[in-house]
Amino acid sequence: MEKVITMEKNEVPFEEYLAPGHRACTGCGEMLAVRLIAKTLGDDVIIANATGCVEIVSSPLPTTSWRVPWIHTLFENTSAVASGIEAGMKAMTRKGRYSRKTKVVAMGGDGATADIGIQSLSGALERMHEFIYICFDNEAYMNTGVQRSSATPFGASTTTSPAGKQSIGQMTWKKNLPAIVAAHDIPYVATACPSYPLDMINKVEKAMKVKGPAYIHVLSVCPTGWHSQSNATINLGRLAALTGIFPLYEIEQGRYKLNVDPAQLSPIEEYTKLQGRFRHLPPEVLASIQERVTDEYVKLKKKAAEV
Amino acid sequence: MKDTTIEIRWHGRGGQGAVTSAELIAMAAIAEGEYAQAFPSFGPERRGAPVLAFNRIDNANPIRARSSVINPDIVAVLDPGLLYITDVVSGLKQNGTLIVNSPKSLVDIKSEFGGPWKLAVVNATAIARELLGVNIVNTTMLGAVVKATGIIKMESLVEPIEERFGARAKRNIDACAKAYKEAEIAEPVAVRARQKREFQVEKWPAWQELLPGCVVIEAGSASQYRTGDWKSQHPESDYSKCIKCGLCYIYCPEGCIVPKLGEEGFFEADMYYCKGCGICAQECPKDVITMVEES
Repeated sequence: MEKVITMEKNEVPFEEYLAPGHRACTGCGEMLAVRLIAKTLGDDVIIANATGCVEIVSSPLPTTSWRVPWIHTLFENTSAVASGIEAGMKAMTRKGRYSRKTKVVAMGGDGATADIGIQSLSGALERMHEFIYICFDNEAYMNTGVQRSSATPFGASTTTSPAGKQSIGQMTWKKNLPAIVAAHDIPYVATACPSYPLDMINKVEKAMKVKGPAYIHVLSVCPTGWHSQSNATINLGRLAALTGIFPLYEIEQGRYKLNVDPAQLSPIEEYTKLQGRFRHLPPEVLASIQERVTDEYVKLKKKAAEV
Repeated sequence: MKDTTIEIRWHGRGGQGAVTSAELIAMAAIAEGEYAQAFPSFGPERRGAPVLAFNRIDNANPIRARSSVINPDIVAVLDPGLLYITDVVSGLKQNGTLIVNSPKSLVDIKSEFGGPWKLAVVNATAIARELLGVNIVNTTMLGAVVKATGIIKMESLVEPIEERFGARAKRNIDACAKAYKEAEIAEPVAVRARQKREFQVEKWPAWQELLPGCVVIEAGSASQYRTGDWKSQHPESDYSKCIKCGLCYIYCPEGCIVPKLGEEGFFEADMYYCKGCGICAQECPKDVITMVEES
């Protein structure tokens, strides 16, 4: 495979498996993540993709942006479809009718993963199907116009958790999905962000080598839903990691490892002030969010220190 | 029964507020006791993509039609760039009205887009930047539309704008009034100005030609879709400072930045796809790339 050499002599595959011409918003962090992940997965892959932004913008009939086999599934059964593909390939391999080691990948947004599809995901993880589940978390139902999901962070204003006189926006804390997935004792769980592209590519490569299920949770900056500038996408992803709001870590065979571990966490205001969805928050609420973020980060560091 | 319906077609970009323009004008018309509709055209297009919104206003009869507007009486263009990528006067009726947001003068616009329709030009972008601080021209353009067509009274717009914008209503009403004052209008001319550019229309298969089960067998066929039309600014590079690190290539959400042909190792964005997000300019460590407004 032809390679482009970039960034500290790391190699990034050259081939694009996501064609340009997709209809994502300008500055979409999600399609950037999908593009880099598709590059890493290569051409021997079958993707099952839940309804959501990625599905809508990459496959408006009669066209597709995909250059690999790809199937659109419903919100609730992405992991079930991926399980079926994997089981089917296994059976055909046993009967000698299939010889390739095709990777099965399921993709979904935070709504498809944390809310609607969590039962089929849990089932597929429990059955230990050999597949990669990638959750593109843009922290709300962005495809239908920014409705809250269980992955929406505390205090964010969405159309169904609007900020106003009686409400400060989302009233619940973001669901810790990687922890729920890790509780299934699967071999590989990771969080990633396209602002750290090489880290994300490494994680996808690791997930491809794992025997059994692997799960990658990708923070996808959404300029439309977060009310941020389209050119701030990369910076926001970076700040999410540096403030500890979305720490980048991996769990290999139950062992935690922090991949981006700043000596001192940046204050969360650096992250929130760039986004319209947090603009209404008064200082005391920001302080309580800061407290929780720091607490969670300390807990995570403790887990990473255990060997 | 005499056809008394007046139809408006709005050309805007996703996120620019064309739909809001249509809604506000319909609300104002209803407040004046007329019948009115406002609705957008639906598609998978996102922020920055060319979008359409429509109005029907009738001062005598209820409106039964629910289809999109093909032969408008009035066309309003919210983004100057759209003039050159879509045929905005398509279907415009004889003696209709074309209202354009453009920094160019009325004479210049007339030489390019004059025809058997009334023509109005206003620099709504400049007004919106001055009074609102943002390039969202929906309320500003309403002033020009009202002046050119007299379809509703300016006073009728105040209440819908206050209801929609709350604390920001005052500034929006000021912008609307300023556009009303500044819009320049030219009467129809008999001969249509010669089109300088052919509009490319993508050819997609009809529904009868699709395979059962919505199977698409041509890989990557979306690559014929020109997302480059969405941008309001484009990147320009000064290669003398470039260190060929490839960060722009990595961080491009479109995947449209590719190694430049013929020249060793430099990267260049493909304008056919570039949506002008500005990530490459923001992330370039050597400030090689700057974003330049589309003219």
